[in-house]
Amino acid sequence: MTVRLVCIMSQLQPQNQLQQTSEPPLNVQELQFWLDKAAAWGQADSPDTRKDTCLHLSRLKDYLQLLLTHMNNMSSTTERMKTLPLLGQFLGRLCWNPYVTADATGRRLLLQCLWGLYSEHPGNALERKANQWIRKVLCQLATEEDDDAAALALMKRMGVSPKEYHLKVLKMMVALLQENIGKSCRSLVDLNQRCSCDNIRATSEACVPLVTCPEAALLIGALLQQPMTCVRAALSQDFLDALSSAYSSQCISLEEQAVVSLWYHNLSSLEDAVLSLLECVLTNTGSTPQELKQQLAQSLLPKACAQHCSIFLVANDIFRSFLKQTEGNESVKYLIQTFSSCFLRELARLQHKTSGSWKALFPQSPQSLLVPLLTRPSEMPREAWKHHLNWLSGSLQTLTEEEEEGDGDGSRSTRLEGHHKVFEAWFLLIQCAHWVQVAVWLLVTSDPEDCGPLLWLLTFYHHPTNRGHHRASQLVHAKEAWDHLHSLYSVSSCPLPVDRLQSLVTLLSPQPERPSLSPLFILNLLVNFAVFFQQSLSGSAEILQTVVNRSGLVNEAACVLRSLELRLNEDSCLSSDTNRVHLRINALQNTLTHMHAASDPAGNQAHAHINAQNQTAVSSSSTPPGSLQNDK
Amino acid sequence: MEAVLKNLSSTAELLAVASQSGAVAQWDKQTLSRAFHWARYCEHISSRFHNNSAIKGIMEKQLQFTNQSLRAAFPGYTDISFSDLSCCQHLLLVGLLKNPELPISIMKILFDTTSPVNNQQSDYQDVTGFCSHIIQCKSARKVLSPLTDLSAVGADVEVQGAMLMERLAALLSQESEACRTEHFLDSVLQGGEGAAGHFCLVIAAALLTTKISAAQTASQGFLLDWLQKKHSVLQLMCSALPTTLLIDLAKGHLQFRAAYCDVLKKWASDMEYSMSEGEWVQPSTNRTVSFKRLTEHFLALFESCPSLREDVENDLNALNISDGDFDVKGLSVWGDLLSALNK
Repeated sequence: MTVRLVCIMSQLQPQNQLQQTSEPPLNVQELQFWLDKAAAWGQADSPDTRKDTCLHLSRLKDYLQLLLTHMNNMSSTTERMKTLPLLGQFLGRLCWNPYVTADATGRRLLLQCLWGLYSEHPGNALERKANQWIRKVLCQLATEEDDDAAALALMKRMGVSPKEYHLKVLKMMVALLQENIGKSCRSLVDLNQRCSCDNIRATSEACVPLVTCPEAALLIGALLQQPMTCVRAALSQDFLDALSSAYSSQCISLEEQAVVSLWYHNLSSLEDAVLSLLECVLTNTGSTPQELKQQLAQSLLPKACAQHCSIFLVANDIFRSFLKQTEGNESVKYLIQTFSSCFLRELARLQHKTSGSWKALFPQSPQSLLVPLLTRPSEMPREAWKHHLNWLSGSLQTLTEEEEEGDGDGSRSTRLEGHHKVFEAWFLLIQCAHWVQVAVWLLVTSDPEDCGPLLWLLTFYHHPTNRGHHRASQLVHAKEAWDHLHSLYSVSSCPLPVDRLQSLVTLLSPQPERPSLSPLFILNLLVNFAVFFQQSLSGSAEILQTVVNRSGLVNEAACVLRSLELRLNEDSCLSSDTNRVHLRINALQNTLTHMHAASDPAGNQAHAHINAQNQTAVSSSSTPPGSLQNDK
Repeated sequence: MEAVLKNLSSTAELLAVASQSGAVAQWDKQTLSRAFHWARYCEHISSRFHNNSAIKGIMEKQLQFTNQSLRAAFPGYTDISFSDLSCCQHLLLVGLLKNPELPISIMKILFDTTSPVNNQQSDYQDVTGFCSHIIQCKSARKVLSPLTDLSAVGADVEVQGAMLMERLAALLSQESEACRTEHFLDSVLQGGEGAAGHFCLVIAAALLTTKISAAQTASQGFLLDWLQKKHSVLQLMCSALPTTLLIDLAKGHLQFRAAYCDVLKKWASDMEYSMSEGEWVQPSTNRTVSFKRLTEHFLALFESCPSLREDVENDLNALNISDGDFDVKGLSVWGDLLSALNK
């Protein structure tokens, strides 16, 4: 799994492609091995031979692929038969093995090998014979009806064709087997009776070649979803592996609950699913927050995590590794936030008791922070938010201070423990980013004296480690940014104070020499001020435009606005007057789009003159009709 | 109607060309698709009119006429009749695959494994992968059959039983006279080698279907009435089917239970005591069941239908009395039967 993680990360930071390894050489003894196997399977039809076939099916398919590759490298059937004299016998035997022919990949590879032996223009007797043999075998496979002669004759009288008949019988078999699965141990009246759960294992094994067979889908679903209370009712591992690889290569579709069951029983299929999601989301950087939410919902992972604690623990673990290895990459953080929000919503929908199960879901997080962070803002009266956040900020601060003390004089293990606690607290904070957003919102309406804890919390969120002891200066910059924003927005007259604007822009543009505060932090604050501060729309828009344009962060600002809008749609507790807020956000979004179209996207101070002209043009056209011109 | 008849002839010609002619070497995917489309059309015609004897007769005549000219054109030609039309696609496929002139590219289309299976019964079914799907289906059956072989009536026989019921229901809903349905059942019996024996199993499955509608109850009733008149079939059923099936049938249908008893009694009455073997045996011309087996039949019946015991024993007793009521072995089959049953 770590290899795959590395691959996904390398897509975030492009690297050179790995060289493709060349195929292994052909080993004639291996062909003898497989021929002997095929012969043994064909000779007797006992539970042991069936088990052996299912056990070897996957490797057999790999071998057929290898054979095919080598066959394609040769130029004629004569050459192929000369290099691999046992080939004809081998393929011939496999044709009559229903496990190979029922499996989609097995059938495909076998047929491709047969075509490989066919010569368009046969040059000698051997090739002519091979051609004839291939035609004969294929004709027999598709049309021979020895086993069912009496049945088919009868069916013909009833007006049922052979193909239809085979299909009906298959469906009937599937239905009968499904019925059997429904009867679990628990329905037995007499406990001395042998339960029929052994059938389940045998049935799952028989389904190994049938994972891609559409008629077997219901049976497979039933196998996955049966209660499995009995020890004997375990599903075959080969079955789970086959199902998992077919599902991840998108050859089959399963019902939602069947997928969840699959993940529950098969760790590697779950890991596969989470890694595929990560890969997909992180390489598709253009999607909107709404699209991301849809993608997450479609993946079924949030639902699955809500149903089974063990699934959540695995998924969370993968996210944790990822976060660590990408060192807090913003897209990863955003994904984790969105995922958690979907997950928590699914959990609430399932109406689980909250307090009891939090510990099971987040065993590594500092326990004292669990309930405070996981309680949603909507579950608390608005007046209590400030106090709550102050408490959270204080607790986190204490944790970081303990870590730093430990760094100084403690043993290695205490140091690691300290780092671990802080990391886990930060990880939990990311997952409960609803509180981070409330902190930003509160900052808009705070007094200067009350900002401290909130700014600390946000600084910690964006910069969890105090590397080089930069936190102190980061906090200073955070306060500066807040001061600038507060005064800019409090001013009700034009023109805007240039020095404040300039200082803000400087803070937003990272300089290599000094340790800087995350621009995203400041941008988020800026956007929230623009939306929520009691200032006229045109005034707010102008400030937003100017700052964003000069620092070249138009796209990022638009993104922040979209996320804010999405969050308001879900959690309308942030504002008492959601309609007004939505209209305001829309207006600001329009401003940004017009600006983006009108000006150079790179936007820098050299174009300030042009921008100033554009701004006046844009601000007069950006206010919507019937107006919020004078809104308070 | 004329158009339909013309189409039938054309399809018959198509089948002949597919199996007998080198012209298939020129076929491409489109030709192939069209050919199967026509075959499906004929299957549809067959199911539409197989209960309509008038139209069926006209079509049969048309086919015979076409057969004549095709026989003249193609030396290896096999006639096709109306009853073959229900399996038209299969006939086409067999013909094509056996034709050495069929281009390999066409075969590759038929055996293609990449396209997803299209199970819809629409007219625009893709012919790609037609054979691949058949192979998948047949193989899947073989893979699953060891698991389903445990019940007395396998999935295949159950399906056949269900199809029989459907067919009977269709016939009964249309016909005003019952005789046509009877003729249908009679004709199935004469299907060929072993057909009667196989049919017995299917009849049992049909009668044992539990989830049935009102129409199907009527079909079952009709089937039982027909059986009542066909002593040979009843006897075949009672001798060939496993006892568990017979008992289930007896439990499910009073009519069958009575008929079953009658068959057992008839067997007993035909028996003679053989001095050399020291046992009651059936006449040498028709040995299907031994005295021991006969006893087992009765005992199984009594075990599952206890209410029957008294009545049957009374009957046997009456018969024994009419035979003289001797207490000696070998004189009356009824007396010996009674002793065996009461051991």
